[in-house]
Amino acid sequence: MKHLIHTLNKAFDHRVRLGVMAVLMANEVVSFTELKEALDLTDGNLASHVAALEKAGYVAVSKQFVGKKPNTTYAASAEGKEAFQAHLLALEKLLRSGS
Amino acid sequence: MMKPTVDPLAQLTEIRTIMERSSRFISLSGLSGVGAGLVALAGAGIGHWYLRGEYGPGGFLHLLESTASERLRLLPFLVLLAGGMVVAALVVACFFTIRRARAAGQQLWGALAQRLALSLAIPLVAGGVFCLALYWQGATSLVVPGLLVFYGLALLNASKYTLDEIRWLGLTQIVLGLVTIALPGAGLLMFALGFGLGHIGYGLLMYSRYER
Repeated sequence: MKHLIHTLNKAFDHRVRLGVMAVLMANEVVSFTELKEALDLTDGNLASHVAALEKAGYVAVSKQFVGKKPNTTYAASAEGKEAFQAHLLALEKLLRSGS
Repeated sequence: MMKPTVDPLAQLTEIRTIMERSSRFISLSGLSGVGAGLVALAGAGIGHWYLRGEYGPGGFLHLLESTASERLRLLPFLVLLAGGMVVAALVVACFFTIRRARAAGQQLWGALAQRLALSLAIPLVAGGVFCLALYWQGATSLVVPGLLVFYGLALLNASKYTLDEIRWLGLTQIVLGLVTIALPGAGLLMFALGFGLGHIGYGLLMYSRYER
């Protein structure tokens, strides 16, 4: 049992990060506001978790300006998609062995 | 917050819910479909009644073989009727969907609803213009099939952003449209069947599945 738990990705060891990745798997490109609304979070909370995912290389961030307003959009990187799929697989394995 | 012991089932369920909620506009109400269907039935009825008044019992059949000047004379009535039906159906559909989104707490005019509206509107506007051209050029018997097929394609296109039933409603309209090509005389009836009963049927199905 114990070794299976260790196959779970540490970067996804939080429900906000899982949520962010889930949204980015289902949608190609998502703005900060959309992400915030989809997960029902505050700015600060979301920003810190997205930063962690960005640092891990799982989320690609791009900043543009729409007129004078900054608009930040997020997308899952290829690496991030792969890691998330692996995480889901590990969860499923855990589920099957656990019951 | 997550405890150190992982509950994989809860995690998987939550991930699935988030993916679903963030990529689909799920507040679409079945009653919107029922309302739009009733509008379509009323519209088909008005059209039938008007054409009978103009040409006698074979009203719609006469329209299929009408001359260019007759078609021109009927155009304002048909455009007004079609426009009125679109507006009335939209108002009814928005009313029930707004009500449902409020009750469910889903954001109404967010990125999802906009994507849904755009993916519906592009094939729909193209289809509307195309069918107007068919009428104008005298291919009157292809107008109803065209409306059904283009509307079906619009629904099919929009269905990836909303409930799965919309895909089936779209496919139903496409099939009805293609069948109508072979049955031009039944055009008005097929219009009532597709836009009227089709909407009502799928609307009731969606209502009983998600809103009770």
